[in-house]
Amino acid sequence: MTDPGFLTVAGAEKRFGASVVLGGVDLAVARGEFVSLLGPSGCGKTTLLRIVAGLVAPDRGRVVLDGRDITRTPPHRRDVGVVFQNYALFPHLTVAENVAFGLKAKGHRRADIPAAVARFLDLVQMASFAERRAQALSGGQQQRVAVARALAVQPKLLLLDEPFSALDRKLREAMQIDLKRLLRELGITALFVTHDQDEALTMSDRIAVMNRGAIEQLADPVTLYRRPATTFALTFVGLSSRLAGTVREEGDGLIRVETALGTVWAPGRFRPGSPVLLGVRPERIRIGGAGPNAIEAALVEVAFQGARAHLFFAGPDGARTLLAEAPEIPAGAAPGARMRLSWAVEDTLVFPAEPAAQQEAA
Amino acid sequence: MSAPASSSAAAGPVPARWPRLRRPDPVALLALPAFAYLAAAYGWPLLILLARSLSGPDGISLAPFATFLSDPFSWRVIGNTVRTALLVTLVCLVAGYPAAVALARARGAVQALLLLSVILPLSVGVVVKAYAWQIVLRRDGVVSQALVGLGIWDAPQRLLFTETGLVIGAANVFLPFMILPIYAVIRLIDPRLSEAAATLGASPLRRFLTVILPLTLPGIVSGIAFVFSLAVSMYVVPSLVIGDRYQTLATLTGRAFLFMRDEQLGSTTAVILLVIAVAVVVGSTALARRLGGGQS
Ligand SMILES: Nc1ncnc2c1ncn2[C@@H]1O[C@H](COP(=O)(O)OP(=O)(O)OP(=O)(O)O)[C@@H](O)[C@H]1O
Ligand SMILES: [Mg+2]
Repeated sequence: MTDPGFLTVAGAEKRFGASVVLGGVDLAVARGEFVSLLGPSGCGKTTLLRIVAGLVAPDRGRVVLDGRDITRTPPHRRDVGVVFQNYALFPHLTVAENVAFGLKAKGHRRADIPAAVARFLDLVQMASFAERRAQALSGGQQQRVAVARALAVQPKLLLLDEPFSALDRKLREAMQIDLKRLLRELGITALFVTHDQDEALTMSDRIAVMNRGAIEQLADPVTLYRRPATTFALTFVGLSSRLAGTVREEGDGLIRVETALGTVWAPGRFRPGSPVLLGVRPERIRIGGAGPNAIEAALVEVAFQGARAHLFFAGPDGARTLLAEAPEIPAGAAPGARMRLSWAVEDTLVFPAEPAAQQEAA
Repeated sequence: MSAPASSSAAAGPVPARWPRLRRPDPVALLALPAFAYLAAAYGWPLLILLARSLSGPDGISLAPFATFLSDPFSWRVIGNTVRTALLVTLVCLVAGYPAAVALARARGAVQALLLLSVILPLSVGVVVKAYAWQIVLRRDGVVSQALVGLGIWDAPQRLLFTETGLVIGAANVFLPFMILPIYAVIRLIDPRLSEAAATLGASPLRRFLTVILPLTLPGIVSGIAFVFSLAVSMYVVPSLVIGDRYQTLATLTGRAFLFMRDEQLGSTTAVILLVIAVAVVVGSTALARRLGGGQS
């Protein structure tokens, strides 16, 4: 990676008892970058974040921030701010006192503290709540105060652990935009944990897709969506149609794959005979049309979504593994109807079939 | 068996906050049985006691108090009472706070074991414990031998029949009443708060002083209220560990009623004892509220 590596995590391993929670994670984040850790529940996102914050000691591996190895540095000497999932505001203090807490702890001049507190409360639009008890705030307000409190000490790095998960959708979307803008204005480097793919795609410069204690792919949102590196990345980020098959022919960077629904061409290099899993993003699939990649499938269900419609088709085993997205519900789209689906060769994603995927297809 | 006066003083600190009675809340009725019981068993005798302490030969007068307080011996007794109670409370706080933290941090079987070791001694009667301390505090007892062994004392000494012995013994009896309320409060503190303070640059000591301590203050105040009011009015422990030479308000009250048959003196000392206990409990609660409210 050509990154300067403002934050570098190298070979981080952690086990709790017998279970390996992180199995050698490498991660590099550039100065000012917003990187998300995206993955299902229990994949080790919080653990990785806590290792960076110094709240959990890794069994192996190093954490380097701004050129300084902080692997053994206690949290209060790290310059790493954290916004916790439940906000963890101090219940015995007012909003202003919460924000002032870090400034006092870091020994800022007493006379300068009120102005700094006011500035950061202003930034999160909570100035009018300064004298309230932290407990007497709504979830969204607490979240803002938690952000102001973490930013007030001007940390080198801000860690956020699912800060929006307790908020309703509308508020969440508004806060996502606000937070992103605020961090950009302040030039803060951020590592953001979420299991919400839309949130990750909206906010991140790059996304680290995590699965079972490992980062499967670290890429910008467009690359991640268009060129997922693993079947996990394909299925976890965005929707997709999936079809299992066997490579029959290879040449010129193209492979011919035989599937239960017909022959499909895809870019890639696989030895003939290899079992593979094919994936296509639903908006790349046309209803009707012709070309090298065209198959027929039975429509199972139509889901109207306002701006577009999702059409689910039965895969070879009858499961709804094929999905096409259309701007309109096409004429004659009744469940049971057989329809032609086509897509471009270069839109076909190929992955080596995993044992589990093979079983599904069988 | 303890003298009636000492039990009435111990009843003083129990209600921490009075319910608001403006709008009758049906839930408040749940407190009725306990309230009625306390009123009948403690309130009524207390009123009689108060009336008796205020009644001189010619009607209501404060003369008994004036007489009692003009005697230097009385002041020595009050001094003994307050000093031992404060020392016992202090020892319990210093020993009990870390114990409560350990109890709250422990998990699983270790926690169950620790909790048991705090609660089980409560089921051993005070008299039994006091006798046990008589043995432990003797010149050839464990404490004396340990102190000599550690080189703190040159020769074995007797702790029995001394104030130090009394404080050690009483602190042992009342320790659970300090540990349990503090433990109950610590258990409810979100561990993330301390972590958040750490990421904001607070050292372990600062985290303790600015986050953990203020949040455990209610538990500390309850513990102090419990232990002080128990220690200020203890009767059995001083009687058995230190004997007649050393009088506190509670032992004097007991003697006045049981041996001297001087109801006037007994009710006077009992009321003074009650006033001290209530003043400390109310005062510490008010202090805690101020500290908790204006924390910065
Ligand atoms: N202190 C701990 N002791 C034992 N196991 C732990 C501890 N902390 C985490 N784990 C385990 O490690 C695994 C990963 O936990 P982690 O909290 O990092 O997951 P996560 O990706 O943040 O999940 P979520 O999205 O649910 O928050 C889980 O299986 C969890 O049970
Ligand atoms: Mg988590």
